[in-house]
Amino acid sequence: MFVIITYDITDDRRLNKVRKVLKRYLYWSQLSCFEGIITEGKLAQCMAEIDKIIDKKEDSIYVYQVKNPKNIKKKVLGIEKSYIDNFL
Amino acid sequence: MPKRFYINSNGRLKRKENTIYFETEQNGETAKKVLPVNDIDSIYVFGELDINTKALNYLSQYDIPIHFYNYYGYYSGSFLPRKKNVSGSLLVEQVRHYLEERERQYLAISFIEGAVFHILRNLKKNKIPEEKFEEIEKEFYPKVFETNTPEELMAVEGNIRDRYYQLFNEIIKNPDFYMKKREKRPPDNPINALISFGNSILYNTILTEIYRTQLDPTISYLHSPQEKRFSLSLDLAEIFKPFIIDPLIFSLINTKKITLKDFDKDLNFAYLNENGRKKFLKAYEERLNKTIKHRKLKRKVSYRQLIRLECYKLIKHFIGDEDYKPFKAWW
Repeated sequence: MFVIITYDITDDRRLNKVRKVLKRYLYWSQLSCFEGIITEGKLAQCMAEIDKIIDKKEDSIYVYQVKNPKNIKKKVLGIEKSYIDNFL
Repeated sequence: MPKRFYINSNGRLKRKENTIYFETEQNGETAKKVLPVNDIDSIYVFGELDINTKALNYLSQYDIPIHFYNYYGYYSGSFLPRKKNVSGSLLVEQVRHYLEERERQYLAISFIEGAVFHILRNLKKNKIPEEKFEEIEKEFYPKVFETNTPEELMAVEGNIRDRYYQLFNEIIKNPDFYMKKREKRPPDNPINALISFGNSILYNTILTEIYRTQLDPTISYLHSPQEKRFSLSLDLAEIFKPFIIDPLIFSLINTKKITLKDFDKDLNFAYLNENGRKKFLKAYEERLNKTIKHRKLKRKVSYRQLIRLECYKLIKHFIGDEDYKPFKAWW
């Protein structure tokens, strides 16, 4: 499924930790935002890792899920900060 | 589904922040690209790449193979992480099926059966008049089942392929890609270059799938396993070459996506240049990701998964669960 994860984390140390976890699963798209296609199992694994890091009273993480990746349409105004491609 | 990454530019692959970074020089600046380690299936390297053991160790932890190709797109080797999926009893069975002549021949015939099925399928799909491939269908195909040794079988297969490659000229109506004779080492013209390149990529896709199962990729049945290659992937490729690569070549040429411009002029057009390679790989990737509803599993599977299912079918055959029947595209 396709997910978009945005995060708002008050402490820089925790922020970096969360960012590093997300990097291993998804693609960075812009500040505080990751996206990509991921399986449900992997997403659960990723969430469990993040769950251990964040402070639930201060931080917030949003996960938007779309079951069928084909149903998503992305439009970019301005510059596209990162472009996902498996041809490097 | 994890992705296959194709690296065509020159650069450096390294481990950073517990994931994989690809760095490349662009207009004097280093451009970094993060590859999420959980989203990598395998890596195909065509460019000039620096890599260190730190990155290799990390990739091996995640069971990610890397396949290397030289400047001309020729396969030079793979980095296969230590195999964790091993099974002694399966290996014994695999060897037994090789040693027992009847068992070996059964598997060898099955692979060719799958190959010929897809060859005929291609010819029919491309509306070649039936009388032109009658010989393959009526004369050679039944012979496949009467052969007693892999050598005999290879001879019949050779005849079928000769006829088949002749008919390429009827499917591809472009004189630039005229197929006189299949020439492998090295390919001598654009069409042979395309076939060779496609096949070598397919071998490694299949090898990656075999690697993910308990099968040993060096023990094969149709091809003799003595060669210094992962010959089981050559065996399985027989079925998938006409199913995945050939239709790809037909459509790339007939829709003029690939033209002579995509070949190296200085090398007599016998090698794809970087641009051509990219186009081919893009189309290949699309084809592997195509899905079809599986009749038995009752869910959608991609063409890549069909390869994996073929490995599972072989395992079932070896452990005596279910006789192996080659994959035949049913749609």
